[in-house]
Amino acid sequence: MVGGRRRILIIEDDSETAEQLVDYLSTSGYQVDLASGGKDGLSRGSSADYAVMAIDRMLPDIDGLAIIRRLRENGVVTPALIISALGEIDDRVRGLRAGGDDYLVKPFAFTELLARIEALARRSATVVRETVLRVGDLELDLVARTVSRGGRNIELLPREFQVLEYLVRNEGHIVPRAMLLQHVWDLHFDPTTNIIDVYVGRVRRKVDSQQAYPLIHTVRGVGFCIRAPC
Amino acid sequence: MLLAKTLRSSTFKWALIWITVFGAVVAVLFSYVYWSTVAYVQGRSDRAIAAEHTILRKIYDDTGRGGLIGAVKDRIAERLSEGGVYILTDPSFAPLAANLKVWPSTLRDSTGWVNFTTREWKPDAPSRPTLRAMIDALPNGDHLLVGKEIDDLDEVTNKIKTAFLWVIALIFVLAGVASISVTRRTVGRIEAINTTSQAIMQSGLGKRIPLRATRDEWDQLAGNLNSMLERIEGLMAEVKQVSDNVAHDLRTPLTRMRGRLEKAHAQQRNADHDQSLIDDTISDLDAVLRMFSSLTRISQIEAGDRTSVFRSVNLSEIATEVVELFDAAAEDKSAHLAAIVDQRVLVTGDRDLLFDAVANLVDNAIKYGREAGRVTVEVTRNGVISVIDDGPGIPISERQNVFKRFYRLEQSRRTPGNGLGLSLVAAVARLHGAGIEMVDNAPGLKFRLRFPPARS
Repeated sequence: MVGGRRRILIIEDDSETAEQLVDYLSTSGYQVDLASGGKDGLSRGSSADYAVMAIDRMLPDIDGLAIIRRLRENGVVTPALIISALGEIDDRVRGLRAGGDDYLVKPFAFTELLARIEALARRSATVVRETVLRVGDLELDLVARTVSRGGRNIELLPREFQVLEYLVRNEGHIVPRAMLLQHVWDLHFDPTTNIIDVYVGRVRRKVDSQQAYPLIHTVRGVGFCIRAPC
Repeated sequence: MLLAKTLRSSTFKWALIWITVFGAVVAVLFSYVYWSTVAYVQGRSDRAIAAEHTILRKIYDDTGRGGLIGAVKDRIAERLSEGGVYILTDPSFAPLAANLKVWPSTLRDSTGWVNFTTREWKPDAPSRPTLRAMIDALPNGDHLLVGKEIDDLDEVTNKIKTAFLWVIALIFVLAGVASISVTRRTVGRIEAINTTSQAIMQSGLGKRIPLRATRDEWDQLAGNLNSMLERIEGLMAEVKQVSDNVAHDLRTPLTRMRGRLEKAHAQQRNADHDQSLIDDTISDLDAVLRMFSSLTRISQIEAGDRTSVFRSVNLSEIATEVVELFDAAAEDKSAHLAAIVDQRVLVTGDRDLLFDAVANLVDNAIKYGREAGRVTVEVTRNGVISVIDDGPGIPISERQNVFKRFYRLEQSRRTPGNGLGLSLVAAVARLHGAGIEMVDNAPGLKFRLRFPPARS
């Protein structure tokens, strides 16, 4: 996983949710600070150096979006994940406009939260331009747009290539369905059908069938993950 | 009761205000007519007196006192001027020639124009007439009064005055009666609407405002209010239907989960068994949550005005991408999925929502279409996107129902789904001002969204 700054700030007023978040993220190797109100969160957010902040949209004292806006005005660039129980459509747009970097609607799976936090934490860490990506015996040539496994060529449609590339770039991390839809199709909603599973299923058939070991794994209820066996 | 309401009504108050304003204007107009008539008539008699005086003064200037006495006596004798008054006196006011016995005592110091009455003039007349005269002091100290009876003038002006007063009184009475009757009518119609509103507040939306078949603006208002009530009643029924359905569709999985947990609670713990119990429960919960988010999504689309974030969207691109996304799903059912599109068909809208709507249509066409069937997404230059399948189609009698939330056709009850897909499509279409058409494809269905031309 990514080294360096592993501190996370959670601003959440519901004590049970907050406790679950702290437990889960601590188990995943993060050092978690909890602010149970907007003022507390604002002062912590501006003082300490965090890898990611997760901010509840509805707080009793200051609105979550106002906190982000103020932090951004004060020059704090820490990636912010907005967690909201409000509906997704207009709120997502408003949240991202206020300076949020990602948006998660309650209720959510903890694996999805973790995946999004890790994606945000990675964003600041690695921006290495590579032309060939590898996972196990899978090889993606980003220039020629070709894929091969164990030296044998695999035919992929352009969009399938993008799906695979996104999974490989997030190797070892869970990629939630909505994130895949967002980055590959530029669509910002949770599909109510299982269409993404079906689509990734076909990519997996092309990549994993008749191979020594599977690379693409489905994480039930959340999304997908590509990793080579240890 | 109705009279009290009439008097309290704002229409009546306004009518009163306008009657007052109108009455004031009429009064001003009539006064003007009155004064100018009086001035004209008076001016004419004044001019006659002045002319008479000028003639007599000229006679005096030419022939002296003797000539003037003769001229005055002639005039009195000849009755040249009807109602004319003449007195010529010496400086001590002793008459030299006159048809009035004495110089009126009130006029000893006056010169110029005077109005006066005297008992010496026509002593046997029933009323004492008013006289108007010009008094001149002659150079030799004599006094000359030349005048005229002006009673006929008074009579004219009095007649005009009376006529005007009557007309004004009549106008006020008529206007008052008119405003009361108009107000009563208005108050009566409003009363009917008020009564119905109160009945609705007390007992529900079943009541309607009675129409009078006059087709006037009141009937139109009542008709509009009635159709509004009908729409509200329909929406309420729909909301009730939806919440009944939500309750049903939620209870089923929740009951299942509860039963499962209850059973597990009574049993011995068993790691494998617990694991699958937890997995099943999570996926059931996910289904419930997904249903919830679909519902809120639909109501958000229906409630919010998102047209501010609309931009130009290429329908062809959406169709191509949806087809590509669903290609794998179609393959699983050995169906043939294709897009037939014109190069660039721009509409104004929200890409995410349009994609979701078209995806839902294609999903339905594949899911409920024929095994190994053919599904085509077609975009034509006039802003129409059609999803065409060759499956069983939708019976005409069911075509309006499929847009209701949670509605599912008998034939598709066993297929996974929550009956919200077409509700979402309908909501997105309404937001974009797009028309929905369902046409028989024999066999199958053509589902069309007809978009208005893009704003440039």
